[in-house]
Parts: sequence; C-alpha cells; structure tokens
Amino acid sequence: MSPHDLLIAPFSYEFMRRGLLSAMLLGVSGGLLGCVLVLRRLALMGDALSHSLLPGIAAAWLLFGTSTVALFLGGLIAGLLTALGSALLSRLTRIKEDAAFGSLFIVFFGAGVALTSKLPTRLNLADFLFGNVLGVSAADLWLAAAVSGGTAALFAVFYRSILLETFDPVFHRATGGRGGLVHMGFLTLTVLNLVAAMQTMGIVLALGLFLLPAVSAYLWCDRFASMLLLSIGLALLGSAFGILLSFHAGLASGASIVLCLGLIFLVSALFSPRYGAVRSLWRGGVR
Amino acid sequence: MNPLKNLTRVGPSDQNILLLRAATVRYGRLTALRDITLSIPCGSSTAVLGRNGAGKSTLLRAVLGWQPLTSGEIRIGDAHPQHARPRLAYVPQRHAIDWDFPITVRGVVEQGRYPSLGLFQRMGRADHEQVAGALEELGISDLASRQIRMLSGGQQQRAFLARALAQGGDIFLLDEPFAGLDLFAMEELEHILRNWEAQGRTVLAAVHDPAIARRCFTRGVLLDTGLVADGPIADVLSPANIDRAYRREHCAHDERARPAGAQK
Repeated sequence: MSPHDLLIAPFSYEFMRRGLLSAMLLGVSGGLLGCVLVLRRLALMGDALSHSLLPGIAAAWLLFGTSTVALFLGGLIAGLLTALGSALLSRLTRIKEDAAFGSLFIVFFGAGVALTSKLPTRLNLADFLFGNVLGVSAADLWLAAAVSGGTAALFAVFYRSILLETFDPVFHRATGGRGGLVHMGFLTLTVLNLVAAMQTMGIVLALGLFLLPAVSAYLWCDRFASMLLLSIGLALLGSAFGILLSFHAGLASGASIVLCLGLIFLVSALFSPRYGAVRSLWRGGVR
Repeated sequence: MNPLKNLTRVGPSDQNILLLRAATVRYGRLTALRDITLSIPCGSSTAVLGRNGAGKSTLLRAVLGWQPLTSGEIRIGDAHPQHARPRLAYVPQRHAIDWDFPITVRGVVEQGRYPSLGLFQRMGRADHEQVAGALEELGISDLASRQIRMLSGGQQQRAFLARALAQGGDIFLLDEPFAGLDLFAMEELEHILRNWEAQGRTVLAAVHDPAIARRCFTRGVLLDTGLVADGPIADVLSPANIDRAYRREHCAHDERARPAGAQK
C-alpha cells in the first residue's frame, strides 16, 4: 500500500473529509478547554458532564427529530441543568460537590438510556455514545466550526482572565476579576463543545479529544501558553491519524481517535524528559 | 488628595491610610466580623491575629472590597475599597497554589500587571520594566525562567511577593504569609518584611502565630470576631489579651457571656 493510498486516498470520500474537518475543528477548541480541565482538576467532572447530555439529546430527538439545532439545545440544557443542579445541591445541602455531581449525572444518564430505548428502532444508542463519522452532516460541520471558532476567540480575548482564574482564583477575585463569570462561561463552553463533538466522537468518548492532548501537553510544557498550543497540535495530530485508522481498520471513529491520542499520552507519560515516569524511576533507582 | 504622596519613604506616621468604622460582616446568622473600629497608620506593618475563625481572612477580604460589609464602612485614604483597588496588592495563602502549574517565575510576576491592563491591551515596556524591577528587588531575576516547583520555599514566597510589588500598589495585604514555610524561608520572609517596613510600605498580614507576629511586625490587631485590642504589638499581645482572644478554643460554650467588641 503506497503512502498515497494510506494517507490521501481515504479523503476522496466526502464523509471522510467531513469527519476529518469536524474532528480537527473540535480538536482546536477541545485542546484549549482540556488544558483548563486538567489544570483545575475538573477532568472527572468533565466526564460526568458529558454523560449527562444524553437525556437532553434523546428528548430533543423524540420531540423534534434529527434537527441538529434541537439536538444541540437539548444537550446544552441537560448539561447546564446538571452543572447548576449540583452547584445548588452542594451549597444548600451537606452534600459535597463531587457527590452531588456524581449522583445527578448518573440519574441523567439513566434517564437518557431509558429515553433512547423509546426512540425509533433505526436509531442506535451506540452512535450517540461512541460517535459515527458517517453521520456528520453539513449542519454538524457548521456547528463545529462556530463552536470551535467561538471557543478559540474567547480564549484569545480572555487569555489573562482564564490564566488567572485557573492558576490562582483567589488572586483573580482579589484584583477585581469576575471569577464566577469565568467559571460559568467555562462550563458552558465545555458543554457546547461536548455537544458539537457528539456526532464524530460520541458523548462518552468526546472528552478524550479534550483531555488526552491536554494531559500529554502538561507533561512537556513549563508555560501555560505553550501548553495550550501543544495541546491543540496534539489534538489535530491525533484526530487526523484517528480518522485514518478508523477508515483502514474499520473502527468506530471516536474510538480510533481516542486510541491515537491515548498512544501520544502513553508515550508522554513514560518518556517526557522532565516529568515522565521513566525519568523518575531512573532517578529513584540511582539514588 | 493622596495622603501617601509625600510620605512614601518615611516611617509610621500619624497619617492613617486605612480606616474601619463599625465594620461588621455577617454570613447568614454567623457573625464573622463584629463592629470593628480601628485605623492603620501609613507605613506601618501590622499583624492581624486571632484564633481560627476569628475573622482575620474576612477582614482582609473586606479591605480588598471583595467581601461586602453588612454595616459600617472602610476607607482607604479617602476612597471606598473598590475604588482604591490599584493601591492594594495581595498575596494569597500558599497552600492554594498548584506548584506543578506550567508557569515560570516571570509568568507569576507578570500576573501582577494583569489587573491594570485593558482587555485588548498587551504588556507594554513600562509593564515589563516593572516586572523586571520586582524580580530584581526580591533577588530572583536569575530564577525568572524557572518553573515554580523548581524553587525553594523561600524563593517561592519571594516570587509571590514580587507579583504583589509588580501590582504597583502601596498597601500590601498578606494572607497567612508564614503558613507552610520552613524555618529558613521564615527567616527570609521576616527579613523582607522588616525591609519593607523600613522603606515605608504599609503591610497588613493575617498571622496565626503570636510568636512570629511579635518578631516580624510592629503593630497588631487582635480579633475574636470583635476587636480585642489594637496598637503596638507588645501591648496587643499581653497575656490578658491573648487569654481573651484564644481561650475560647477550649471552652466554646460561653460565647454569649462575653462582651462584644471590647476595647483594650
């Protein structure tokens, strides 16, 4: 098989081009968001948040059919309800935020699975959960472009607020920063991106496109700006190779993107010259 | 109108830079700060003391204009705290910092300039000079490109003090600056604070340990939600005052029996 067959030929198919474009667009915004998720230790919360989108999407499907906008809004509402609901629960009861989030999201997810079992039989729950690159429509692409562009623009404009809020929220507030606003905006962006990534990645695997490039970049960088850029770069690399892998091996697109990113992550975690496992084992052994 | 203009290099004076008048903060039914009236002289270094929950942090936050008062008022110079924000520099507690964060010492100090930059404004030459000056003054210029984990405890503390310097304010609010420092780093910080005082900088620091406060500060404010005492540190930390402010930790039930906001 020639390099052309391997790397270029697959993109003679329209659905492959769409899938690639969608994954790369969301790789840009996901790579950015992932950095904040990782640095603020919200990785698991992001995971819970992604599961909680399901009932919103399923309900929108039941009510409005396949309209991209309806699915998007349904997912957004479900995600924000979970985020707000758990914030309220943790403030008004003795439940801590993680338990509140954990309980709410699993209820939402259960409701989502129940709802999808009521959907017309042609529809596959697996496509919701794990993504199907074949299904990326032109509307989905526009949505991905809007969400990705919006996220990147917000990061560019509010870069300093985001850095302060991520690194030292107390200092941010003490110097007049709108910490709560930045945080809520960040949660909203995360939900938007998760919903936009649903078609290609599936709601369960979408977070992989956010987290894996960011953790990998975290292992290499000593500056916030370079971590953001490397994270975007790795997300683009992983999604391109992931889409190709899914084509050649006949795998689900979301899964193969996550696998490619996972390989990058594994290599980083083991062999990063400053923060890798091999280095700390080596130094431990010498000492 | 700025009372500090002509006094920056002079020691403590009669000029008061910070005034609290009957300042009270309640969170729901809980009173965090009760009827505090006191004044902080310009150029003094003051330790805010008291047991856990006595209102030290609340007092600092109120001065920052971040914690709204339930009643009473705070004036900084002639202004309300929210309008005096450029004069205030803040150093948070160090345990809240993630030392593995991908940021260098210079990156931390540059954050001191962020509040005074507009949304689309980049750091200008004056900003970079101010950052370089702050790094220089605290002797960490040659560590500027290090990731913050790669510093000793004292150097880490100096990086955050440099960020406060880079803010360009003249009133420094320090939240438990000695917490979590090793002995050597404490001596370093003590030395820096003594220097700042000699230069006429106004410092207000929440301090947990009376012994440290006695060593490093000239004035004290002793809180027990109400004001127990304020003035020269040796007077404030008299055995009787300490007994009154710290005793309650051991008998929490006589809360109502004690007078509120008693003066020294």
